[in-house]
Amino acid sequence: MIFSKEKIVLEYTIEKCKKCNLERKRKFHEGDILFSETSKCDSCDGLTMIEKIFGEYVEK
Amino acid sequence: MDFTDIDFDQLFGSGGDTNPIMMLIWIIPIFIFVLYGQRIQLAVTSGEIKKGIKKLEDYKTKSRTELINYIKKNMNPVDDPTKKIDRFLDYFTIMPVDMDPNGIVGKVRHIVRAREDYTREHVKSLSPQTSELELTKIQTLLEIATTLQMIYKVINHMFLTAKKQNNYPLILPLQMILPFILEEAEAMHKAIPAFKMGQPIGDGIGPMVVGKMMLNSNKESVAFQTVLGETQYEQRKLLLLKAEGPGSTVGRPGDAMETILSKNKPDIIIMVDAALKMEGEDSATIAQGFGAAIGGIGTERFQIEDIATKNNIPIFAIVIKQSVKEAITLMTKDIADKADNVRSQIYEMIQDNTKPGQTVLLIGVGNTMGVPQ
Repeated sequence: MIFSKEKIVLEYTIEKCKKCNLERKRKFHEGDILFSETSKCDSCDGLTMIEKIFGEYVEK
Repeated sequence: MDFTDIDFDQLFGSGGDTNPIMMLIWIIPIFIFVLYGQRIQLAVTSGEIKKGIKKLEDYKTKSRTELINYIKKNMNPVDDPTKKIDRFLDYFTIMPVDMDPNGIVGKVRHIVRAREDYTREHVKSLSPQTSELELTKIQTLLEIATTLQMIYKVINHMFLTAKKQNNYPLILPLQMILPFILEEAEAMHKAIPAFKMGQPIGDGIGPMVVGKMMLNSNKESVAFQTVLGETQYEQRKLLLLKAEGPGSTVGRPGDAMETILSKNKPDIIIMVDAALKMEGEDSATIAQGFGAAIGGIGTERFQIEDIATKNNIPIFAIVIKQSVKEAITLMTKDIADKADNVRSQIYEMIQDNTKPGQTVLLIGVGNTMGVPQ
């Protein structure tokens, strides 16, 4: 289409704390794997697990 | 010369008398279109098709270059892999004769698996120390590049034949199918980054749902690149089956079912898979139904249906609708957000269709790229 803008995909990772269920959205880093434990939770001493990895399409 | 006194009525013949110039202006184009109409249409259509073929050629070239660069970077081969890769790209598969369809599924399965095994071994020979995860990624990238090359060759052949024969009707089917082919080729081309990065794709929603349920269960390998986990839910035994992640594979659920049935007979089978949505349907909608929800060439579905029929086991299906592009590129937020909903529908389905003490076989169907268990 002449007037449609090109779309780019932004990659995100959602981390969820196994203890307090707090979710944190951040940019995807190479090596992120679903269900792997990544870091300590910001609000409690629990460990976070990668819950989702997805892409969001935005117009350029 | 004075142009102010031109009589337009007389010039265009609207004054009542027949004007020979006007007659020529009307009659010549009619003759041109009668005699050369198809050639004019061929020239106009050719322009559009050429643009499409140029895109296909770009996809083909880029996918080949990206594959070779990826192999050089991640496999560190001793020799330059370009020649070998070019040979792989030209491989073709001859499907068995179907004049006598008896036993054709076994023959198709044999040919397809032989091709997969051969490709895997030869990719591995480029650098034997490469991990299984990298091998599955490279095998998928090779499959993408091979398919894009084949698409380009076939479409270009059809176009050149029509042009060579100056045959307009021959170009019509090409004009009709080209937008669909381009859509699929573009989707395949856009899938490359997700496979290189090891990210989950839309088709991986089934393995993602089942993979999370398998996290704290005992797991064992039951077939090639296929794992089985066991857990309990409301006094029912759940057998959880999916392709072995996080590599790029769909596993062999048919073979796995045969192994499972030799030890445990499930009372119901539930299959969770991605399904192609129809135009106008919303993406990431969930639908329930009956029958084996599994795509591919049909051999796995045949095997699963055969086992279920012989053992009188009902098959239930839950599908997550998506487009071709969504199915093979990085999973979209809408699809990823539906994972919990699918899981709760599975539990509901189990409660509605089984009694305590019974066994359920839950299969997460699809490519498990980036989805461990």
